[in-house]
Amino acid sequence: MTISSVFAAVRGSPERVSLPRGRRRTELLMLGFAVVVVLFAYANVGLGLNGKLPAGLVTYGLTFAVIVFAAHLAVRRLAPWADPLILPLAALLNGLGLVMIYRLQESGRDGNPGHPVTLMTTHTTAYQVIWSAAGVAAFVAVLAVIREPRILQRYTYTLGALGLVLLAIPAVIGTSINGAKVWLSIGGFSIQPGEFAKLALAVFFAGYLVAKRDVLSLAGRRVLGIDLPRARDLGPVLVVWAASLLILVFETDIGQSALFFGLFVAMIYIATQRTSWLLIGMILFLFGSYVASKLFGHVGQRITDWLHPFAGTNAANSAYQLVQGLEGMGFGGILGTGLGHGQPYFVPLVQSDFIITAFGEELGLTGLMAMLLIFGLIVQRGLRAAIAVRDPFAKLLAGGLSFVLALQVFIIVGGVTRLIPLTGITTPFLSQGGSSLVASWALIALLMRVSDTARRPAPQPIQDEGMTQVVRAG
Amino acid sequence: MNRALLRLSLACLAMFALLLININYVQAFESTSLAAEPGNARIFNQQFQYQRGSIVASGDHTGGGVKIAESRLVKGTSTYRRYYPFAQVFAPVTGYDSIYGATGIEAAQNKDLAGTDQRLAVHNLVGLLTGKPKLGASVYLTISAKAQQAAYQALQAQSRQDNGLPAAAVAIDPSTGAILALASYPTFNPNAYTTFSGKKLVKIDNQYRHEKSQPLLNRAINATYPPGSSFKIVTSATWLSGNASRSPQSPVLAPPALKLPNGNLLHNDAGEVCGNGNPQLILAFYVSCNTAFGNLGIKVGAAALHHQADLFGLNNSNLTIPMPVSASRYPLEPDPSLRALSAIGQLDDQVTPMQEAMFAATIANGGTLMTPYLVQNVQAPDLRNIQSASPTALSRPVSPQVASEIGQMMFQVTHNPGGTAAATANPQVAGVDISGKTGTAENGVNNAGLNDAVFTCFAPSSNPKIAVGVIVQGGGFGADAAAPIAVKIIKAYLGLP
Repeated sequence: MTISSVFAAVRGSPERVSLPRGRRRTELLMLGFAVVVVLFAYANVGLGLNGKLPAGLVTYGLTFAVIVFAAHLAVRRLAPWADPLILPLAALLNGLGLVMIYRLQESGRDGNPGHPVTLMTTHTTAYQVIWSAAGVAAFVAVLAVIREPRILQRYTYTLGALGLVLLAIPAVIGTSINGAKVWLSIGGFSIQPGEFAKLALAVFFAGYLVAKRDVLSLAGRRVLGIDLPRARDLGPVLVVWAASLLILVFETDIGQSALFFGLFVAMIYIATQRTSWLLIGMILFLFGSYVASKLFGHVGQRITDWLHPFAGTNAANSAYQLVQGLEGMGFGGILGTGLGHGQPYFVPLVQSDFIITAFGEELGLTGLMAMLLIFGLIVQRGLRAAIAVRDPFAKLLAGGLSFVLALQVFIIVGGVTRLIPLTGITTPFLSQGGSSLVASWALIALLMRVSDTARRPAPQPIQDEGMTQVVRAG
Repeated sequence: MNRALLRLSLACLAMFALLLININYVQAFESTSLAAEPGNARIFNQQFQYQRGSIVASGDHTGGGVKIAESRLVKGTSTYRRYYPFAQVFAPVTGYDSIYGATGIEAAQNKDLAGTDQRLAVHNLVGLLTGKPKLGASVYLTISAKAQQAAYQALQAQSRQDNGLPAAAVAIDPSTGAILALASYPTFNPNAYTTFSGKKLVKIDNQYRHEKSQPLLNRAINATYPPGSSFKIVTSATWLSGNASRSPQSPVLAPPALKLPNGNLLHNDAGEVCGNGNPQLILAFYVSCNTAFGNLGIKVGAAALHHQADLFGLNNSNLTIPMPVSASRYPLEPDPSLRALSAIGQLDDQVTPMQEAMFAATIANGGTLMTPYLVQNVQAPDLRNIQSASPTALSRPVSPQVASEIGQMMFQVTHNPGGTAAATANPQVAGVDISGKTGTAENGVNNAGLNDAVFTCFAPSSNPKIAVGVIVQGGGFGADAAAPIAVKIIKAYLGLP
C-alpha cells in the first residue's frame, strides 16, 4: 500500500481508516507452509531410502521449525513492515538444502551407507543445521544492528577495505580445496571469506556510487557516442574492481570473479542509468574471459568441457562431473525419481556446487523449475523493494544484492546444466557449507531491511480540531 | 534509478527464463540421448534398484509352483541381487541375469521381468504416483520342478558313471506342447553370474567359457546329435502314410545285409538277423533292423522323406520356446544309397534333444505336433495376467491312424521281449506303460567316435501325459544309457514310486 493511498483512504472515509499492514501473519502462515514442505521432503528421504521415517524427523524438524520461527519473531520486532514473502522463501530453500544434504549423507558414497561422500562426514547434516542457526542468527543480528539502510552508508570505505581484506586473506594464508584457493581453515571449520566480501563490496559500491553518481553520469567526455567518465571519478572503483579480480584470479576462482564483476557493472548501471557502462562492462568481461582462457589452462579446459562434455568428443573424460550431473538430471526426467530413489551420489562433490543436479534428478524437471522460481521470487521481491524505497543508497544496495543473487544462481545452475561454462560457486542456501549459508541469510536480512524501510508508512499527520498538527513518529 | 532497476529486473527475468528453458531441454528432450550415453551409471544400475520379477516352475500345479529365480534385497542396501535357489538344476531354463547381460528365460522374458514392458507401463505409473516400489512381472513356466529335478539328477548320475559325458533331456506335454523339463549336463551355476563386480564376472565367465565340457552350452536345444534309429519313426511314418493299405503288419524286406545301389552293403547292428528276412514292419521296428528301414528309405523317395522330416519339425530354424531352438537337420538326399543311411538316422542327420521329444510327442498326440513352449503365463505385480499361453499346432506330420500304428510299434519296443528297450523301459521297471524308440548313433569321422545314446518315448502308452527325448553323447546303447534317464523323468512327473 502506497503512502498516497493511505491519505486517500483517510480523506475519503474518515470512519474506515485502514492502516497499512505489515502482513506478518501472512509471513507466519507461509513460513508454516515452508516448514511443512520441508518436513514432508525429509520424511520422504527416509521412506525412499529405507522405507522408514527418518530417525531425526522430530529433532531435525523441530530444530528447523524453531530456527525459522525465531527469524519470524525477530522480523516482527525488528522489521515489521518488511515483505512477508522473502523469509518463507529463504527458509524453504534452506530447508530443502538440509534435506538434500541429509539424503546424500545417508546414502553415502556410490550408494554405500557408512562411506561418506568426499568432503562429507556422518555429521554433515548436523553441522549444516548448526550453520542454518548461525545464518538465522546473522540474519537477526543484521536486522538488529542495521535499523536503517543509511547507517551502512557511513561505513562505505571501511566496508570497502574490509571486503578487499576478506578477499585477500585466503590468497595469503588460505587452503586450497579442489583447485580454488578461497578457503580459510579456522579450528576445523573452513570459511570462505569471499562470500562475505561480496556483501561488504556491495555496500561499498552502493555508498561510493551514490556519492559520485551525478559526476559519473554527467561529467566526462563523449567519445564515439559513448559518454566516458572522468578518470579521477572512476579511479577508486576501478581499483577495487581490478584488485578483486586480481585476487580472485590469483586464487583461481573464476566463478567469484564473474560474480563480483557482474555486481560491479550492475550497480554502476543502476547508479548512472547509462547503457555505456553496460557496454564497457561487457567488453571488459569478454576481453577478460578471453585472456583468462588463454592464460590459465583450467579456464580454457572449462570451455572445452562445456562445448564437448560427452565421451564421443571428450576422450580424456575431463567433464566427468558435468556429464554425471547431466545424466542424473536426464534420468530424473520430468517427474524425478523421488527423494531417496535416485543416485545423485555419482556426481563428484554433489553436495556442493552440483547440488542442483541432485534436486533435478530426484524432484525432476517439475521440482527443479519450482526451486528456480523460488529463487526468482526472492530476486523479484528484492528488486521490488529497491524500486519502492526512496533512499538512493538503499535502492542501489537492494538492487545490487538482488542482482548478485540472480547472477549467482545463473552462473552455478547455468554451469551445471551446461548453459554456460562451468565455474564453481556455491548455490545459495542449498550447497553444503557455512559461509555461503550465513552470507545468504545476511543478504536476505539486508533485502528485508530495505523492504521494511520501503513499506514503512510515513509519519502520519493527525488532525487535532483543525488547529494543531501533531506528527506521530513512525 | 528506477528505470535502470526495471531494466535490470528484465535482465534477471531473462536469466531465469534461460535457466528454465535449459533445464527443460536437458530433462525433457535430452534425457533420451543422455540415457544412451556410454557408461551411464544410472541406467546401468537401474536394473538393480527394483525387484526383478520371479521365474516360477509351475508345471506341477498351475498358478502355483516353485520359485527358480528371484531377486532378493541385499542386506543393508537398496540393491536387489538375483538368486537361483536350485543353482545348476534349472540353469538351462532360466539362464542367468548378470550386470553385463542375460541368457535363457532371463533374456527372452527380460522386458516382463524388468517391468519395462509396455503392458506394465500403467501399473508402473500408478506405482510411481502412489510411491510403491517398482516391481517386475513374474514369469510362470510350464516346467515341472519334479521332472526337471529328476532329469538333472539322472543326467548327472549317468554322466558320472560315463566319465563326465555330456547329456541332455527334454520332456513335453504332448497334448499342449508345454515343456515339462529341459535339462542339460554339465551346466553352470547361475548364482556365479549375479555378482556386482564386473571383474569377478568376467573371470567367472571366462572360466566357464574355457572349460572343455562346455557348461554354458544348452544341449537340450542348442546342440545337435545324429538321431540314429530313433529316426526310423520318420521313415515308418513316410512309408505308412504313402499308402492306406500299409500297416505295421505289412511284411518288409529285411536281409542281414542290404546291397545298396552303389554296391555297398548295409548291415544290421552287430550283423543281427531280422526275423525271417521278410518280417512284419512292427518286428523290424522293435528290434530296429537297419536293412528294413534303409530299404524303405530308398523306396519312399527323397522328397517324401524330406517332407515328412520337415513336418516332424526338422529343418526349422525359426522355432523359439521363447529361446531360439537350433534347427535339427535332415537334408534332401537324392542319392538312394546315401538315403538308405539317412533313413536310419545316420549320415548328415542331426537333431536336438528337443527334436527327439517332439518325435514322441507327435505320435502321442495322435499325429499332431504341438508347438513347444516354456512360458505358461506372465503375471503383473498386481496379479493381473498380462500374457497366457494358448497351445497351437505346429504341424500335422501324420494322420491319427498312422500315429496310432507307430504308437503300437513303439509299445512293442518296451513290451516285446525282443524290443530294444525291453530290459530298461518295461512296465515292471517303470511302473507305467512306456512307448518308445531307441537310437544308437554312430559318430565321428569313419564312425570312430563313441556311439551317442538316444531315446524318445511317451507315457502312459494308453493316455500319454509326457513325451521325453534323451541324448547321451557317447553314451553307447540308447536303451542302456538314455532310456533309464527317460524312465526316471517319467516316474517323477507321474508321481510313481
